[in-house]
Amino acid sequence: MKISTFKPTGFKMPDRASYRQFLTMPNIVLACYVAVALAAPLIAHQNPYDPLQVYGWEASLPPGTEGSGGFNYLLGTDGLGRDIASSIMYGLRISLLVSIVSALAAAVIGLTAGVSAAYFGRWVDALIMRVVDLQLSLPTMLVALIAIVTLGPGIDRIILALIIVQWATYARVARSVALSEAGKSYIDAVRTMPLPRIRIIFRHLLPNSIAPAMTLLPIEIGHAVALEATLSFLGLGVPLDQPSLGSTVANGFQYLMTGQYWISLFPGFALFGLIATINFVGEDMRRIWDPRSRSI
Amino acid sequence: MSASTTTTPLLEVRDLTLRHNGRGGQTTIVQNVSFTLGRGEVLGIIGESGAGKSTIGNAVIGLVGKSFEQSFGTIRLDGVALETLSDRERRKLRGKTIASIFQDHTSSLDPLMTVGNQLGETISAIHPGLPRSEIRRRTIELLGWVGIADPAGRHDSYPHQLSGGQRQRVVIAIALAGSPSIIVADEPTSALDATVQKQILDILRNLVDTIGLSLILITHDMGVVAAIADKVVVMKDGEIVEQDATSTVLENPKELYTQQLLSAVPRLHLSPSAAHSQPEEPAPILVVENLSRSFGGGNIRGLLGKPSAKFALKNVSLRVPRGSVLGIVGESGSGKTTIGRILAGLEKGDSGKVTLDGRARDISRSGDEGLLGHVQMIFQDPALSLNPRMTVAETLRECLRFTARKEGPRNPDEITRMTDRMGLARTLLSRYPHQLSGGQKQRVCIARALLARPALIVADEPTSALDVSVQAEIVSLLKQTVTESGLSMVFISHDLAIVQGICDAVGIMKDGRMEDFGPSDFIFGRSENAYTRRLIDARPKIFTH
Repeated sequence: MKISTFKPTGFKMPDRASYRQFLTMPNIVLACYVAVALAAPLIAHQNPYDPLQVYGWEASLPPGTEGSGGFNYLLGTDGLGRDIASSIMYGLRISLLVSIVSALAAAVIGLTAGVSAAYFGRWVDALIMRVVDLQLSLPTMLVALIAIVTLGPGIDRIILALIIVQWATYARVARSVALSEAGKSYIDAVRTMPLPRIRIIFRHLLPNSIAPAMTLLPIEIGHAVALEATLSFLGLGVPLDQPSLGSTVANGFQYLMTGQYWISLFPGFALFGLIATINFVGEDMRRIWDPRSRSI
Repeated sequence: MSASTTTTPLLEVRDLTLRHNGRGGQTTIVQNVSFTLGRGEVLGIIGESGAGKSTIGNAVIGLVGKSFEQSFGTIRLDGVALETLSDRERRKLRGKTIASIFQDHTSSLDPLMTVGNQLGETISAIHPGLPRSEIRRRTIELLGWVGIADPAGRHDSYPHQLSGGQRQRVVIAIALAGSPSIIVADEPTSALDATVQKQILDILRNLVDTIGLSLILITHDMGVVAAIADKVVVMKDGEIVEQDATSTVLENPKELYTQQLLSAVPRLHLSPSAAHSQPEEPAPILVVENLSRSFGGGNIRGLLGKPSAKFALKNVSLRVPRGSVLGIVGESGSGKTTIGRILAGLEKGDSGKVTLDGRARDISRSGDEGLLGHVQMIFQDPALSLNPRMTVAETLRECLRFTARKEGPRNPDEITRMTDRMGLARTLLSRYPHQLSGGQKQRVCIARALLARPALIVADEPTSALDVSVQAEIVSLLKQTVTESGLSMVFISHDLAIVQGICDAVGIMKDGRMEDFGPSDFIFGRSENAYTRRLIDARPKIFTH
């Protein structure tokens, strides 16, 4: 009898030989982004949000100016004398933190909701899925704005708002997968045993419904970065003392008219690069993990 | 072959070898296969899954060959070697000279096109420029050939409006449209009920005899081969085990493997055997009275459209004496699976009474908590019956742990004792389901069902997804366990012979009703019910005694 060497179906881990396929350009760039964000306090010339480290009189200096702190303002300074390069590194921390945490939390909530809807059916299904429909029928921005306005400012509130915006997508995908899994006889088999329902859902149904949501995750992280940046740009996002890339862009917006392009432009580039990279990574992951797209 | 026969065979396959260069090295799918097919002949290629029989069929049709890294040997059609032809020339052959019929009649037809148009499309592709009226005339003629009643009326039907047997007839008609000399039929009747299968085989045989068609019939079913093939090629692991005239192979098989295959085919014994003296019937473990179940009524669609409640079960009654096996036989749509699912608490019944082990079951809703674990099911497809992300040990341990709640702590040794009893090596305990063979998976499912210590086991077609030789093993394992442990079982199947081998009593179902019910001897030997007789007659005579 031939025994295949694959790992369990569903969430398939690529085997050793194909680890090389992870060495793609988008993955490397993303790894650099994350490394910079993590190492920001070590490699940035200054903490732009520590007043003691900022020289207020060196405001709006163009890129390449030598600063009095003994380093070069490679990307210039903003209207308050903060080093743009350092601001980008610190902003990256907040942007990545907010988007990754919110996307993961939304995935957990959405998966649980979707799988429960599929398992229980009837009114549970109707209730959860109508909320999902309602959620998805409203513009994302509007939902986020309402959430922020109601919840108030703060990083935790932003994360909460982003979870509210994102969970419905996961729920819908998870429900359709779980519905087809629930029709398989291994679920019937455990249903004839005195197993707690919660165990059937979390031990049997959920693990087998996770794979498609995994392909959604990177793309949703990309969305979250963009959404958070938009909210921050509008001044509704993260608080001023913990600025993200979005609020850094917003900081320099008023200076664009007077020719001090660098204050907005460089954080904007960083943001664009981050979102594009995440989307490329997401596309790669979808190809690797989604068996249907792989076979084509 | 004598020197006087100068005619070349219509199709000659010589030393065909197909190999894949896979990740784990080279895999030989087909090894040194040679056979010939004459005009007006039916050649059966029989083998279990993985024998390479479908690959040979596809090689003849010209669907594979290029996809193999290494292919050797020749396929000569009317003396012309196929591998010397260009893709275009091969494409011309397809349909006109070689046509094919596949197993799945549902996916072989376009659901959005009427069957007449699909057939007409094929005709006009083969004879370009035919006027519409002529195409229609030929279409209706072809539909008539394959035994479709009212072919003119059926011309404008969509595939979903036809039954499975009718759809497969349309597929055959499409294959016939180019008046090919060879048809390659890959499991053409495996998705059909026994009575329909017989009709389709009769049509194919009739076409071979009347229009001189040659047929390559690829199947796993000895009965199909016995019914219509002139010659048989028996395959195993990509190689030919034996090939000869059908009667020789069936009556006088030379090779051990062929003998095993033949002996694994369940046989039906019609002569009323020495009826085992029935002692007084023990108290029944299960009594079902007037169970009914309908689908489709009462929902929103029913409110808006016409309320079209369809009965899946209508006033079905049965009883299973303690320690006995009841067989429920029926064709697809007869309601046999619905009964099983209601008994296991997976579905609810509309009305009727189910008494299990002296206690009345609440059938008005699924998942009656008080009876969880008392009825265990064994399902048709073992590949879907085990959680793919749990090892065998985890699956069995879960069953033990949660059924222990009602009975007090259980000894974990029970798991290894049970797997030993099921003939499963202990090393398999750490495997995931996809690392097991179909038969091994089904053994794990049986072990799981038994570990729950049920009062009743419901086995729903537990062998129909397995190879013939494995089927026989699973049936005898089930039979043995039931006898040893004094369990009661409801065994649902479409196969009369399997049911006869294992069951004490048999119920025959049709369209949601219990057509015939009685002890096994009575049903097979003396029952005068017309439908029962029809089911028995649909079986190939050679496997009936």
